[in-house]
Amino acid sequence: MEDYDVRSAASILASVKEQEARFEQLTRALEEERRNVSLQLDRANLPPNTPTSQPLAWQQLVMQEQSPSNATSLSMMQEPQEVVEETVTIEEDPGTPTSHVSVVTSDDGTTRRTETKVTKMVKTVTTRTVRQVPLGPDGLPLPEGSSPLGSYTDSIDRRYMKNGGDRFITPQATSTLTRSYNNSYNDSYGETPESQYIRHYGLHDGYADLTENYGSLSRGVNFRPPRYPYLPNSYRPENSYTLPIRKDDYGHVAQPQVPMGSSTVDLNRSQPERFQAEPYGLEDDRRSLPPEEEEPYELEPDYSTANRRTLQGPNRGRTHREPLRDVPRVRGYPDEAIEAELIDERHPYIHGMYSAPLAQPERGSMASLDRMGGRRSPSIDSIRKDPRWRDPDLTEVIAMLGHPIDPVKSNAAAYLQHLCYENDKIKKDVRQLKGIPVLVSLLDHPKSEVHRKACGALRNISYGKDNDNKVAIKICDGIPALVRLLRKTNDMEVRELITGTLWNLSSYEPLKMVIINHGLQTLTNEVIIPHSGWEHEPNEDSKPRDAEWTTVFKNTSGCLRNVSSDGAEARRRLRECEGLVDALLHALQSAVGKKDMDNKSVENCVCIMRNLSYHVHKEVPGAERFLDPSAPQAPGSAGPQRKKKDDAGCFGGKKAKGRKNGDNDKNYDTLDLPKRSEPTKGFELLYQPEVVRLYLSLLTESQNYNTLEAAAGALQNLSAGQWTWSNYIRATVRKEKGLPILVELLRSDSDKVVRAVSIALRNLSIDRRNKDLIGSYAMRDLVSNLPSGQQRPAKNLEEDTVVAILNTIHEIVTDSSENARSLAQAQAIEKLVAINRTSQSARETKAASHVLQTVWSYKELRNALTKDGWNKSHFQPTLTATPKPTKNGKPGYDDTTLPLMEKNQGTRKCGSGDMIPMDELGPDGYSTIDQRDKDLKYKTVDGSVDQTEREPLKNDTNRKHYIRSNRPAVSLVDACDVKPQPVDSWV
Amino acid sequence: MSNFIPGQPLIAVVLRIEIKKLRQGDNLILGFSIGGGIDQDPGQNPFSDDKTDKGIYVTRITPGGPAEEADLRMGDKIMQVNGYDMTMMTHDQARKRLTKKNEDVVRLLVTRKSLEEAVKHSMGSYPRQ
Repeated sequence: MEDYDVRSAASILASVKEQEARFEQLTRALEEERRNVSLQLDRANLPPNTPTSQPLAWQQLVMQEQSPSNATSLSMMQEPQEVVEETVTIEEDPGTPTSHVSVVTSDDGTTRRTETKVTKMVKTVTTRTVRQVPLGPDGLPLPEGSSPLGSYTDSIDRRYMKNGGDRFITPQATSTLTRSYNNSYNDSYGETPESQYIRHYGLHDGYADLTENYGSLSRGVNFRPPRYPYLPNSYRPENSYTLPIRKDDYGHVAQPQVPMGSSTVDLNRSQPERFQAEPYGLEDDRRSLPPEEEEPYELEPDYSTANRRTLQGPNRGRTHREPLRDVPRVRGYPDEAIEAELIDERHPYIHGMYSAPLAQPERGSMASLDRMGGRRSPSIDSIRKDPRWRDPDLTEVIAMLGHPIDPVKSNAAAYLQHLCYENDKIKKDVRQLKGIPVLVSLLDHPKSEVHRKACGALRNISYGKDNDNKVAIKICDGIPALVRLLRKTNDMEVRELITGTLWNLSSYEPLKMVIINHGLQTLTNEVIIPHSGWEHEPNEDSKPRDAEWTTVFKNTSGCLRNVSSDGAEARRRLRECEGLVDALLHALQSAVGKKDMDNKSVENCVCIMRNLSYHVHKEVPGAERFLDPSAPQAPGSAGPQRKKKDDAGCFGGKKAKGRKNGDNDKNYDTLDLPKRSEPTKGFELLYQPEVVRLYLSLLTESQNYNTLEAAAGALQNLSAGQWTWSNYIRATVRKEKGLPILVELLRSDSDKVVRAVSIALRNLSIDRRNKDLIGSYAMRDLVSNLPSGQQRPAKNLEEDTVVAILNTIHEIVTDSSENARSLAQAQAIEKLVAINRTSQSARETKAASHVLQTVWSYKELRNALTKDGWNKSHFQPTLTATPKPTKNGKPGYDDTTLPLMEKNQGTRKCGSGDMIPMDELGPDGYSTIDQRDKDLKYKTVDGSVDQTEREPLKNDTNRKHYIRSNRPAVSLVDACDVKPQPVDSWV
Repeated sequence: MSNFIPGQPLIAVVLRIEIKKLRQGDNLILGFSIGGGIDQDPGQNPFSDDKTDKGIYVTRITPGGPAEEADLRMGDKIMQVNGYDMTMMTHDQARKRLTKKNEDVVRLLVTRKSLEEAVKHSMGSYPRQ
């Protein structure tokens, strides 16, 4: 690395030129090798076994030698045993061993670096490949080995050594090579960007030559490298590589071929690298191999973009696809922090590649394809026969996922991603052809290129309405595999793919808990917390960080939003997930602070908060201590002083830290909030009065209906229930001047916002003062949302909303003749009577009937009502209404808090009254994701489906709560939001 | 309208109806409801003869409302509103066109089956053009 830094761009260019020269030489050498190989092959065919035995001995020797020098590296290597076999492949070069040794020694000198490299080596299979490639060409530099291979290996080793520790680069000639090698390693490891570039060039050149010369043979043999990922130091691994490759590729073929394979192996390996290091590869490709890689590259880019699209949907435009081919490559490298110089260099190549691909390059691509096929081993032959490229069929592509050569795998995965894009049929076919388990298994592949493409394919497959695809991913443990990969990778693109896939998966109800079980803490720790800007540790002395609305964060918050609607257990898990609530809250506060709250991430966060706020008074550990025995409306009295619990630890989630705060005051009138001795954290933050200001800010500033609905829903949830904290919340809303904000939103054009606000007002009116204020100031807006008779207001609110409003009015009017008078003065009686008599909705009729009955119960008002031309019959459940109303009847009111709502709105509204279950409410906004999104997260908006579900709920007033609590109300909400086209509109 | 034959001159008997909106709370109301629209299923329109007609139809009239006072009838097809063609609109577009808050009066051109038939009969006595 250091060396690279030192080097100037000019020097790099010079080295590149050197490399080119070398490559030419290498090419010649390769041709020689090729001949040898062909000869050997012939021999090999006859005596397959013999070669292997010799090689084995060899390798062992080599290993030992090396081990001393690079203790670390050697130890790392598991290969030794395998290597032996591998060696066999190498066997061909008797001289090689010595060369290895020498290499080793050189390494020893740079032991340090070697060590580092070792680790890297372990990770990357690719690296090995690279090495192999160089070997072929290296023949020039390291002539010691009698056979070209040996010589190559030696040189390679040196390079590698050097690479690992840049210092070692010493060998001048090799230096360029080394770089290339280093790069390859880096790529896989993502460590040094610069080095990678270099590597690419070097490698590509080498590859180009190789590929051209060797063509099909090498392809088949080479590619097992993946198995040998652990042989970092040993370039000899080549042997080992070859061996495995042989096994796989040749599988059927006699081992004898192996030797040939070894030479070829290098080539193959090099190919893979090429693919990986496309940018570099580009250059190389031009020279010799470009063609092969090009196609694969193209495919990959396309897929990747496609994935992105699907995953992120809107964000990643499809636009990227083709144009971005280059981009994808770049993306792979970004982590490496490629230097500007390097990049610049690349570009020229890239441009050349794409803009004006050389004739050769194309060939190369063709060739590469062939190779791929060849690699498949069994089918290879047929493919080889056809020099021309053809589209592999789905079965072949899936088979290629298991191909020993990494580039084949990654290309196959990328191609699958491409094929699956917006094609449900192919997704299904992939599933039925058992492609999904293979893709999942590739998630653990050490090469970033491979697991990235696999993840991209999975993202596309997981998207859509076909839940069987999601289930298939789950069945083969794809969810833990995704989470595992998320923990391992730092590649933003991969992380986006992972979280996008999880988001897709999270839309399917049965998978939600699985995601929670495997990924909740990881998603929180890896994405939510870091991107939220929240500092886990109290280092808050420094300026607080703002949230970053990254795609990863959006995807992850969307995923959590979905899973948060999976019922009480899911809520409990999320609440108790260390740092989650804190981070979400911080992110939202950051959004408010920046006035940047109309994005999807904010929406997701608010929805999660709303969902987690649902039934806090029943579900939070220790909640019973805060239960307010007193009447709901006398919050002050109830205020159970919180029982202080000693919360020791961390978020344990269940601590009652916050509660302590609550102890002090219960005077709601005064609204003395509890004072805290220690900062609140964890789920306790959900219901601290401080959140009221946050939600009110969102309600004031946001233009996003879903966010508005969620924020109102959160207040609704928090103000429900009979416990100390809801008393505080209700009072705080008033104190923070939240009532006018909510009333203002009754005029919203969004049905669901009106509904959520209405229900929130209902819950808030449990507070007597709130009730008086709402009765005085909100009545008019509430009434204006009611349809007049058959005629609906211009807004054309849905039934659920109308019922919610009626329930709210009922709540306000109950126990307040003054409010009932206000109602009458707002000219609501006419509307109520009309609804009661003519509404086609039983629920509306019933709700209106309740209100009318309550109004009529105030005898002091009857006189005035009579004057207006009303009589008792108008206030009785009648006619049409009778049947329906009866059901709901008054009985529903059992719910202390939200009696009205629940009764009336069997489903949502009722529930909403109490709290808006995330689900229910969510359906539209929050839960959206879950239900609707299952497949189409992005499309969230389509929520019509769920309606059916809601209705059933309606019937039981009592159910509301339960239903809601158990099941994410998603369905309910969804339905509501998306009403089908109006068949009939009053004007 | 339902007898329209492509290539033949279209004879439409239209009725001009002017409705003054009634202020009801914050809303201005016309006192009738509409159905149809190019985004609706025309097959469900009970008022049209041609079940592919995606026009906007009056579906209900509020008793005593402004529309009733103006003699708008259930089943009338709305051809124009204040000069705007209403025959190729989505349902929601039509609704919005009718509920402009800045318009206190809407002038409708509507066709009505009974009128059409009356005209036909009367024309029947004349030699066909």
